[in-house]
Amino acid sequence: MQQVQTEFLLKVQFEVTEISDLGPTPTGNRRIARVTGGHFEGPKLKGTAVPGPGGDWLNFTPDGATRLDVRVTLKTDDDALIYMTYSGVRHGSPEVMARLAAGEEVDPSELYFRIAPRFETGAEKYEWLNRIVCIGTGHRLPTGPVYTIYQIL
Amino acid sequence: MQQLSFEHIFDIDIAIGARHVIGRGPFGRRVIAEVSGGTVDGPRIKGTIMPGTAGDWVLIADDGTFYLDVRLTIETDDGARIYMTYHGTRHGAPDVLARLDSGEEVDPSEYYFRTVPFFETGDERYAWMNRIVAVGLGDRTPRGPLYSVHQVL
Repeated sequence: MQQVQTEFLLKVQFEVTEISDLGPTPTGNRRIARVTGGHFEGPKLKGTAVPGPGGDWLNFTPDGATRLDVRVTLKTDDDALIYMTYSGVRHGSPEVMARLAAGEEVDPSELYFRIAPRFETGAEKYEWLNRIVCIGTGHRLPTGPVYTIYQIL
Repeated sequence: MQQLSFEHIFDIDIAIGARHVIGRGPFGRRVIAEVSGGTVDGPRIKGTIMPGTAGDWVLIADDGTFYLDVRLTIETDDGARIYMTYHGTRHGAPDVLARLDSGEEVDPSEYYFRTVPFFETGDERYAWMNRIVAVGLGDRTPRGPLYSVHQVL
């Protein structure tokens, strides 16, 4: 059997300042969070999150989990634009989820918070990002999420 | 930094049936490959792939990279149905991809073939699969793709 091997790609921190709560919809309790900025850094790329269209169409499903559906644009320090999307899931005990919902900082070991990001770019220097598969581990700070992202080798 | 760990949850052996070549559209060369069956075998889940609604809507880039877009349904040996979707990529050196295309057996270490599957089920016994992020490590055998699937812990 093949073994999973990973390589650290980058750490990204997003600023989330506005959350629109749409309430219960047919698919769950929908909240749309606007990503207003952020920054990322790794051995091969670093830069900021473009404060343009970017957000998380969160869904709080009846099983107690939170499903993420994110689109953001990253801009590297050498001016390449990288479109990043991810699906992911966050869940924990009802007590931990309530603390998160109240805006408290929760230690990442207390919950399962994982994402699968994908990247799309036309910049030749970063073209390799189009072809890699990645996963990330999340940490929800009161100002927004921080992810450590790894390429699956 | 959080330490990453993975747990092997199953191997999935996929039989490919008819291939429908759609040709070059605005996103690249599209091929729709029918998944005609297959098996799932792991410590926590065993079953088969239900034919009929399973396939890969693959896009092939000019450099030969496959961008996978798969939907299939697993029926477990204890009667649960689990909808599985994944994106992923397959790429490598042109001569390696040519050997794969000609149906040769190629060692999976010679190319990159990775996916991120998500699962959806209403069966309580497998509800844990609704809430995980996982990776699949692919091996394109002459018969069809074989993945070892690992949960990100």
